[in-house]
Amino acid sequence: MSMSPAPTPKVSRAPRFPLVWVVPLIALAVGGWMVAHELRNRGPEITIDFADGSGIAADRTELHHKGVSVGTVTAVELKPNLDGVTVRVRLRQTAAAIASEGALFWIVQPEIGLSGIRGLDTLLTGPRLNVRPGNGTPANHFIGLDRTPPPELPLEGRAFILQSDQLGSLTTGAGVFYRQMKVGAVETSRLADDATAILIRIHVEAPYADLVRTNTRFWNAGGFSFKVGLLGAELKNTSLESMLSGGVAFATPSGEGGALADLAPEGMVFQVASEAEKEWIKWAPKIPLVTPEVVSEPSAQAGGGK
Amino acid sequence: MKRRHPYLRSEKLANATAFAIAAAVMLVPANFLPVLTTQTSGRSRTDTIFSGTVELWNQGLWAIAAIVFIASIVIPLLKLVGLGWLLIQARRGAMRNARQLTRLYGALDVIGRWSMLDVFLVAFLSGVVRFGVFSTVEPRSGIIAFAIAVVLTVLATHAFDPRVLWRSGSKSEPALPTL
Repeated sequence: MSMSPAPTPKVSRAPRFPLVWVVPLIALAVGGWMVAHELRNRGPEITIDFADGSGIAADRTELHHKGVSVGTVTAVELKPNLDGVTVRVRLRQTAAAIASEGALFWIVQPEIGLSGIRGLDTLLTGPRLNVRPGNGTPANHFIGLDRTPPPELPLEGRAFILQSDQLGSLTTGAGVFYRQMKVGAVETSRLADDATAILIRIHVEAPYADLVRTNTRFWNAGGFSFKVGLLGAELKNTSLESMLSGGVAFATPSGEGGALADLAPEGMVFQVASEAEKEWIKWAPKIPLVTPEVVSEPSAQAGGGK
Repeated sequence: MKRRHPYLRSEKLANATAFAIAAAVMLVPANFLPVLTTQTSGRSRTDTIFSGTVELWNQGLWAIAAIVFIASIVIPLLKLVGLGWLLIQARRGAMRNARQLTRLYGALDVIGRWSMLDVFLVAFLSGVVRFGVFSTVEPRSGIIAFAIAVVLTVLATHAFDPRVLWRSGSKSEPALPTL
């Protein structure tokens, strides 16, 4: 039996840099990326002072804007002078622009009123913070509102001031009616400086603002009255909406010879009567309204007008 | 060419070291990044391993908190420290306490299998707790880092050959190639 010579073994040197050392490098890269990714999503931290912080909890309560979470409360602290709480909120990076001067913060809690139900989900979730971004210079400290601010108003239309003896049902959100159609809403109401009347700021939407003239009469349209007399029963005529949620109605007289009075300027003050006089209801002046639908017709746009 | 120690064995030491270092690196994001987000009836809460343990403790679930704490924080750390100690000793070569070190290796091998508890917990919760608006659990990036770290420690333990602990400690022997 002849033996073939044993094959010479291949001797390879240990590589100077074993391939396995790539593993910690990859780990470093992946770990670093994860941490960087997490840090990048973090926006600035802001503080908001509230008079009352019931239900706000660190790590749980979220800050919302337009229904989307834009940050989370990281801490709730009592103010040093004990008259309120300071809430720290970590914003998301994409929402960092919210933290600018003029931003409004408020706490959303379930609100059940005659004008509707709002924030019902917070019954289950607990309160959340809401923000309306500001447009000033960047800031990181804010004073929170103690109630929901009036809704953002459309740019068009005009605001007027009403003077009333009693607030009645003219709280924020109550309607302003013309011929029982809602053409505006109550913005805010407050006591006059000398406490002799209630001042109510209303806003009438764009095409309908022209209905308000210098001689327009306003009256309280909330509630209903029911009179029973010898000749039968009489129910005061209001719309169901204003009956439930309150509001103010107005009518404009047709002037002498059909001429209308001048347009009421922005901020004009009117008195509110507690009840409409019979003739006010009958007023039916012709007032031209330019409705937005007409303006936005394709033919009008094609003409390049406006 | 006279080699008392096969090349393979020393490379295994390098493997184990590399995996151990990688595991140590991954433990940083695993412990600092959130591992899960729980949403219960709209309230959302994001937890790291540690904050989750604290929350369990605060809720009075001491036993579970202790288990999670041991399985997710103590064991991975102990494993890495023990492994590091073994690797340093093996590199030095002089083994007077080879028996104890081998016991330590055995212990590390046994406890290693318990450290995936967290990953299973998160995977289980994310899969089961899906009640829409009422309750959901979502895994976050930290748990991935944690799982990678655990896998790497397991790889490191298995790449470590306890026989290197039993070499005679004579200085005349070729030292293990330095890396």
